[in-house]
Amino acid sequence: MGYVPTFTYQAAVCHAPQFAPRSYRHFTVSPLTGAMGADVEGIDLSSASDAAIAELEQALTDHIALMIRGQENLTPPAQIAFARRLGHVGIWPYAKAMEGYPEITELIQEPGDKYAFGGTWHSDSCSFEHPPKYTMLHCVACPPVGGDTGFANQYLAWERLDPALKAELEHRRAIASGRLGYMTAASDAEVQSHTATPVSFRPEELLEVAHPVARTHPVTGRKALYVNSSYTLCLEGESQKQSLPLLRRLWEHAITPEFTCRLRWSRGALAIWDNRCCLHYAHSDYPGYRRHMRRIVVEGERPV
Amino acid sequence: MPDVLPQLRHPTAYEMQRALLHAPQLSPRDYRHITVAPVSGAIGAEVTGIALGAIDDAAMGEVVTALADHLVLVFPGQTLAPADQVAFARRLGPVNPWPYARPMAGYPELTELVSGPADIHNFGGGWHTDSSTFPRPPAYTVLQCIEGPDAGGDTSFANQYLAWDTLHETVCRGLEGRRLIHATAKGFGDHSRSTGSGHVTTTPVVVPPEHEGLESRHPVGRTHPLTGRRALYVNAGFAARFEGHSVEESQPLLDALAAHGGIPEFTCRVRWRPGTLVVWDNRCCLHYAHNDYRGQRRVMRRAVVEGEVPV
Repeated sequence: MGYVPTFTYQAAVCHAPQFAPRSYRHFTVSPLTGAMGADVEGIDLSSASDAAIAELEQALTDHIALMIRGQENLTPPAQIAFARRLGHVGIWPYAKAMEGYPEITELIQEPGDKYAFGGTWHSDSCSFEHPPKYTMLHCVACPPVGGDTGFANQYLAWERLDPALKAELEHRRAIASGRLGYMTAASDAEVQSHTATPVSFRPEELLEVAHPVARTHPVTGRKALYVNSSYTLCLEGESQKQSLPLLRRLWEHAITPEFTCRLRWSRGALAIWDNRCCLHYAHSDYPGYRRHMRRIVVEGERPV
Repeated sequence: MPDVLPQLRHPTAYEMQRALLHAPQLSPRDYRHITVAPVSGAIGAEVTGIALGAIDDAAMGEVVTALADHLVLVFPGQTLAPADQVAFARRLGPVNPWPYARPMAGYPELTELVSGPADIHNFGGGWHTDSSTFPRPPAYTVLQCIEGPDAGGDTSFANQYLAWDTLHETVCRGLEGRRLIHATAKGFGDHSRSTGSGHVTTTPVVVPPEHEGLESRHPVGRTHPLTGRRALYVNAGFAARFEGHSVEESQPLLDALAAHGGIPEFTCRVRWRPGTLVVWDNRCCLHYAHNDYRGQRRVMRRAVVEGEVPV
């Protein structure tokens, strides 16, 4: 006879597709996975109508991260103008802006660079009091293969957390700080001298801020897990040492492969994602190649 | 226990780049009969320009070479009949039935893996390499998509040569000569626990009585018979303990090695379409079936190609 196995080696994380089926009038949207992410084709961001932009924001709400293909002709001013249609454009204080465009940070990875920008799971600038809601990257150059960006849906991460743990964490806050990632990068002379995009931080500039462990998205009303290993120092009211075992468990859970998608770049594509409900990770697997992105952030609200 | 846990850490960007630069993945060869396009910097290539149902020896030789270089080959648009899938798998080595599921009717070498809309568990979730509890685990798995969701149900792969190459040298030294006990009961539960567990997957997986206590000892770092390269061979879901040590003693190091094996820079992610056939080398990669398509049906056909005793 034999026995029916219980598959003890895997977690029960299955879920149905997370996006509502919707038909779009101004462009086509192709979902990438059951968790999040979509490819968008058939829109020109430099000349899109208000209706098309509203629809694009709807698609972003549904899919959390969009890879919008075919934006080869999007100039820096046009990219800034597009970003302004989605909200206030922020200035990122930690790197030199693109000449003439204070809103744009150029992320350039040269073939010999020893520091990989964004190479940990994180949500952008969550050590700020008002972290950016959206980040967009416009791909000026990318390697023929490699350099993908991974994303993880943090609504799912929160919803799929053990119910007892959820109840315990529901009203807790965690301390986020730029000390962890930024300082390591900025204080390493070797890293700085081999990096095309130098980042500069003065310790006194590095904020510490308390944000809810689960934040409520202002548009969808859904809760999303909002801790990550790049910024979260500890739970409020606990030491780092006390917090670490639980935080490690949360970080690991947050990037369960079932919650993720992986976006592949093409020259001229623009990716945009919602930092309020996803983490991302820049894959550093293209040694010998150059990668050049133009980054703009759209300001967000204080997490609640 | 090898005292290597303190030295196990995430590789730096520089260590990662050094390992990736020396891998054949980023330098595809020139092929005459097939077109090979890598899908990530670490592992995997899409192969086009060939019909696997009628492949000649010259093209097959190139496929074997590409497989050794890229570990995972994705052949879109093949739609092979069951007999043709078996015939193709046989070009890679002897093909035996898989003893844990009823074979497809009329084709003892094929297992049909069906996920139904109500399934909670999927087949092949969790990072693993196939059948490492066998004394001779399969060298290759040949999987074809028959039916699946539009989005969801991807399979990720992780290059375990890179996992080995990015371990600190003191870790490699500490793991030298060490063996792991791989146990069917660990990954598939023991008999007592699973009795009465009810619905698990649509494909009835049944561990035959003679396999209930099956355990095999395999090296932690195995040497690939064709490439001569070392690969981390930790199948965390099934590796119960280090030889000579208890489960409790072994677990922290097993967990850390498992986490290391799945570092995103070692991976690629493959999207299926009906008719896509994928071949991977179980000796040097892990894979993970993403369970993100609940409510939909997915049908895959699998053949496994015999491997050697890991050394």
